[in-house]
Amino acid sequence: MAVTLVVSGVGKDYLIPIIESVSFSVNAGEFVCLLGPNGCGKTTLLRIIGGIEPATRGSVTLGGQPVVGDGRHDRRLGVVFQEDRLLPWMTLRENVALVLKPLGMTAPERLAMADRHLVLAGLRGFEGYYPSRVSGGMRQRAAIARALAIEPELLLMDEPFGSLDAQNRRIMQKEVRRIWEQTGRTILFVTHAIEEAVAIGTTLIMLSARPSRIRETIRNDGAVDRAKLIDDLNVMIMEEVERQQGGSTT
Amino acid sequence: MPSLRARDWAARLHLPTLGALAVVVTVWWLLSLRYGAYVLPSPRAVLAGLGSVLASGEVWRHTGASLYRIGVGFGGAVVLALLMGLAAFLSPLARGVVQDFLAILNSTSVFVWIVISLIWFGLSNWAPIFTTFMITLPVVASNIVEGVANVDRRLLEMGDVYRLSGREKFTAIVVPSTLPYLVAGMKVGFGLALKVSVVAEIFGVTTGIGYIMNYSREILATHMVFVWALVMILVMTAADKIVFDGLSRRMARWR
Repeated sequence: MAVTLVVSGVGKDYLIPIIESVSFSVNAGEFVCLLGPNGCGKTTLLRIIGGIEPATRGSVTLGGQPVVGDGRHDRRLGVVFQEDRLLPWMTLRENVALVLKPLGMTAPERLAMADRHLVLAGLRGFEGYYPSRVSGGMRQRAAIARALAIEPELLLMDEPFGSLDAQNRRIMQKEVRRIWEQTGRTILFVTHAIEEAVAIGTTLIMLSARPSRIRETIRNDGAVDRAKLIDDLNVMIMEEVERQQGGSTT
Repeated sequence: MPSLRARDWAARLHLPTLGALAVVVTVWWLLSLRYGAYVLPSPRAVLAGLGSVLASGEVWRHTGASLYRIGVGFGGAVVLALLMGLAAFLSPLARGVVQDFLAILNSTSVFVWIVISLIWFGLSNWAPIFTTFMITLPVVASNIVEGVANVDRRLLEMGDVYRLSGREKFTAIVVPSTLPYLVAGMKVGFGLALKVSVVAEIFGVTTGIGYIMNYSREILATHMVFVWALVMILVMTAADKIVFDGLSRRMARWR
């Protein structure tokens, strides 16, 4: 499989170093979960990869082209944020169609494309609804449909189900896995929930405590014992949480 | 079914308010008997006066003149306020300057503008127009600038991620989120425009609700002062109910 995303030596300092140095690469069609203790810079790393903010050190390339952190990249990147970030004054269909405008499609093409992806995300029949009229889970589905509609080279998801209840969360995990199997998109998924990562990712990257580095990269291809993997990851994350708390008190 | 319809109308017309109004009018009537037509004309005299200005068409002449001045002054204020909002959106530097200027304008008295406009424009239409413009500008503009400042940064970031152009972000994100602020500002601004332009009309012009009220006072026709006050209230209420409530309802359809 072809390598598509290369993250090399990426680091970020705010007032203190948040990310020391992170390097990894992702093959096209992979489903990578980025794990780590809260506050270790997972979201920051995802934002750097998405070109939303610049890195202090290192570089990111996607399909061989550098991603520059000024929000002006010309890569096709779909991002699903922690919040749905739908425009409340537009219907779900209009929300998805909006992001297709820069791709140079005609209006009917955009609407057809939007409807196709809303159906893919399980929103058949809700295309004409305003976001306020549907549930939080459905709004996140619409956000996923929006991200998929641009046919992204890379789909970034930043704890997209953090605000959903446990039941909806499980449903959405299954849905994302189904969508990934159906579309073959490359996905980078940030989460702090170990069960979630093990349930959906093909590759798991565990970050260390702040300033973060990669602690462990694990293949999750069905051959592994999932229960044991979850236990191991829980031990790791607790060690990192303790280290981070120890570090912040000194 | 007429009876059902009547009940529906009764609810819409705020029947309890009308009850209270009946009490007020009764007290007014009793007081008018004691104090006489110069101090307090009777409700019936006011109603008759309203009937006569409606029948003669005089009501349209003066209301029209006032609304024209408000239209130009307030309309100009809205246009400039929109430009200020645009500047505030494009540059944080401009936003600071605009906000400081609006703070100064906001703390300037109506009377300052009336006197200055009389000096500058003399006894002409432009005195009430300019006064209305200067008084409503800070109200409408500070609302718009506040709306622009409150645009959800996270939505703009979403626009960046999906590579929307500046114009697409402006029309899809900035304008819809600022619209409620604009309508709220225009609603307050229009009420203020009516009140202020009428005061400015006392000086120098020979048409308009302010002029005719002052004239009625001079010829000791107190009941006509009440009539024109009533006309002002009706114009204000009509604008509120028809224009601004309609706009608010249209904007709220996605809530």
